[in-house]
Amino acid sequence: MKFNFEVIANLLGLLLLLNGAFMVLCLPFSFYYREKSWWAIAASAIITAACGFALRYFTRKGLHKDLKKRDGYLVVTSGWLVMSLLGSLPYLLSGAIPNFTNAFFETISGYTTTGASILTDIESLPRGILFWRSFTQWIGGMGIIVLAVAILPFLGIGGMQLFVAEAPGITPDKLQPRIQETAKRLWLIYFGLTLLEAILLFAGGMSVYDAINHALTTMATGGFSTKNSSAAGFSPYIQYVLIVFMFLAGTSFTLTYFGIKRQFSKIRKNEEFVVYSFFILAITTVVTITLLFLTDHGLETSFRHSLFQVISLITTTGYVSADYTSWTPFLSVLFFILLFVGGSAGSTAGGVKVIRHVVLFKNSFLELKRQLHPSAIMPVRISGKAIEREIVFNVLAFIMIYILIFLVGVVLLSAMNVEFDTAFGAVATSISNVGPGIGEVGPTDNFSNIPRPGKWLLSLLMLLGRLELFTVLMLLSPHFWKNR
Amino acid sequence: MRVIIAGVGNVGYHLAKLMCAEGQDITLIDTVQDKLKTASNQVDAAIIKGNSTSYSVLEEAGVSEADLLIAVTDSEDANITTALIAKHLGAKRTIARINNTEFLYQKDKLNLKHLGIDEIISPESLAAKEIKRLLKEVALTDSFEFEKGVLSLIGVNIDDNSPLKDKSMLEAAKLNPDQTFMTVAILRNSETIIPYGDTRFQVNDHAYFVAQPDGIEKLLFLTGKKKEGVKDIMILGGSRVGARAAALLSCKQYDIKLVEQNPEKCFELADELPDVMVINGDGRNVNLLQEENISKMDAFIAVTGDSETNIISCLVAKNAGVKKTIAMVENMDYIHLSQNIGVDTMINKKLIAANFIFRHVRQGEIVAITSIHGVDAEILEFEVKPDSKITQHQLCDLQFPKNAIIGGVIRDGEGFTTPGNFRFKPKDRVVVLTKPECIQKVESYFV
Repeated sequence: MKFNFEVIANLLGLLLLLNGAFMVLCLPFSFYYREKSWWAIAASAIITAACGFALRYFTRKGLHKDLKKRDGYLVVTSGWLVMSLLGSLPYLLSGAIPNFTNAFFETISGYTTTGASILTDIESLPRGILFWRSFTQWIGGMGIIVLAVAILPFLGIGGMQLFVAEAPGITPDKLQPRIQETAKRLWLIYFGLTLLEAILLFAGGMSVYDAINHALTTMATGGFSTKNSSAAGFSPYIQYVLIVFMFLAGTSFTLTYFGIKRQFSKIRKNEEFVVYSFFILAITTVVTITLLFLTDHGLETSFRHSLFQVISLITTTGYVSADYTSWTPFLSVLFFILLFVGGSAGSTAGGVKVIRHVVLFKNSFLELKRQLHPSAIMPVRISGKAIEREIVFNVLAFIMIYILIFLVGVVLLSAMNVEFDTAFGAVATSISNVGPGIGEVGPTDNFSNIPRPGKWLLSLLMLLGRLELFTVLMLLSPHFWKNR
Repeated sequence: MRVIIAGVGNVGYHLAKLMCAEGQDITLIDTVQDKLKTASNQVDAAIIKGNSTSYSVLEEAGVSEADLLIAVTDSEDANITTALIAKHLGAKRTIARINNTEFLYQKDKLNLKHLGIDEIISPESLAAKEIKRLLKEVALTDSFEFEKGVLSLIGVNIDDNSPLKDKSMLEAAKLNPDQTFMTVAILRNSETIIPYGDTRFQVNDHAYFVAQPDGIEKLLFLTGKKKEGVKDIMILGGSRVGARAAALLSCKQYDIKLVEQNPEKCFELADELPDVMVINGDGRNVNLLQEENISKMDAFIAVTGDSETNIISCLVAKNAGVKKTIAMVENMDYIHLSQNIGVDTMINKKLIAANFIFRHVRQGEIVAITSIHGVDAEILEFEVKPDSKITQHQLCDLQFPKNAIIGGVIRDGEGFTTPGNFRFKPKDRVVVLTKPECIQKVESYFV
């Protein structure tokens, strides 16, 4: 089978055009703060849009060819790579991050909503550039492909292929029969929640600029802050607002849609949501009690920091309200394990996702029962419905590959002379799209000291994590490229 | 429009595809997960696994907001039940597929509409009607009349002795100075081509024309065919389609022989159809066919339950000199092969049923609509409204969609083809051939 390179290039061109348009949206901030770096943003926008336009122009004839499944995977992976390349232009041209490796790392960390940064002094960057940094997370959160599907009518069934390749989760839920309508609603909810959060943050005394930036990076579960101290310097009110919206961003947007439509029974019956909520509560209780005994914080402060940190890590946002690695070794280990939980399927969160853990645990438990009753058919049930065996196998394979990649990543990174705990933290936080890790990449440090090849490795891991392994790994298998 | 399709068999799947190209919101219900999965890979639709006769499944599919429910599962009973429940749960219109044609022909005895089924369709009787239509003219592979024949759509095979072969559309127009017919589509190796001025006819092309009554003869001359009527027909297979076709045709000027393998069924058929000669025998037996004078037949229609038997026996008939052969096939993918392997027309009852339903759900100013076997296009007849977009310019300045073509117009009961400087007036009836993805664009010209 041949690839439809014309359609693929055409769609890439389209993504770049969108990206160029997004860059233009950063200009008002540059102008408002009278920054000289506005020209760097303008030039990046023009270059990106010109590349996009050229791609579209030269492939305009192939537009009406069908998009096959494997074309879809190629579009999504190469689309993310191309966007990350051109998305780093504002940093490079303005001189904010002069080194290409660093700029690329910062961009892909943005798009994949990881939030791992190489910047030591965030506040010294021009506001326009910082806004672009937050904006990349917002674009990547819901996914630019999903946006393209939402606004382009001609994709048809090809849109479904693209959607599946980008959207997180095991099987995508359709809110509406047509994928375009589904994508539209998802983006609308996403946009609406972001706006609401910005207003609430502004009401809590944040400046408009900070409110917008933090709203963008919370809803994307990204975690880029405009402050050097992340969320540590904010008032309790603002921290609670961030908690609520991180929780929402880590919840399936399908459920939010049901919530808006007042179909609450569907939310209550959703097993993933129930597990997700109770898990957060349980871990928060443990952390709060530990903090109460070990530190001299009061009950409210302990509870707030615990909840903030637990939600921030489980939803893979990566905001920091306090240096949690300095609390106790027990909590450091606990928080490290939380990196592997991930939010809900169908949310903007990264990581393994709660639903996969539920399937894994249920299946493992059933396996014990199956040993006793070899002839019994015992399907794994989620929300009361039996799920297909293929899905169970898919989940098992996913978790297996996840662990494998994690281990290989740690070995490779330590081979680059990175300390033991730093390597573990950096790899785990990258593949789960969280942001801060442990060791030298802990909540108060950053990734600037990771050696250059290590940054490229972590960039790859972030992309693998955001596109949920298979979409990217597929391109690495020889099977994908065979003419069959 | 919100459409629920219960049953993702051939009919349901084909319908879903047609409606998806139109941008309707489709929900598919089936009990088999694999069928749903296959369908959702090709069609942008929501899927629900379950039994469509279940209240909860229908409610999950959003039946209360549905504009149309189409029940086309394999089971007649399930279809009727589904349609009834759906109607009572709030579906605006319901269509159910049935097998028992009594529902169709004895409508007075049981008022289904009153019960909640707005439309019933029977693929078998539709197929029988289609066969009757195809038999009108031997030289033509397909024909469809608009307004009692003042304008017709006809399909002709371009063979070696046709003067049209290797001619471009413009050259063909010179052979036909009065413009009595117009080429609207060419089917070449399963690809549907909408012709432009420089498109050339090739040997083995299957060309479709819209022609005035005086244009048909000219066209037959230009394609090297002779006008011939049909008199003797042999039908192979006493299936429901065969029996219905025989019943439909027997009241006309035809002599019909019906070959059926099962002696008891033969007896029943002979009882039902007094004007038809029923022959008991195996249709694959060439000797039997020769004994029954197959070479003298004008048309041979193979409608047994077995596609392969139908195709092969049609080839036997063609070899024996039968001018027109029609084979019924189960597999839709075979249909566009028919011309290449020598069967004049292949029909598929499910495809016919799907197209019939599709016509039913069209709204707006469409007067008539049809589709031709194997061609990926719809033929529509519109009535021109005052101030619609099509009246505003001459035909050549209209910028009509590329994947659609205007075949002709009927004005004051007279049909003719349309030259480039033609200007449409209100009340004109326009015949348009369009690819499915263009239908809505075409419709916008007539609003």
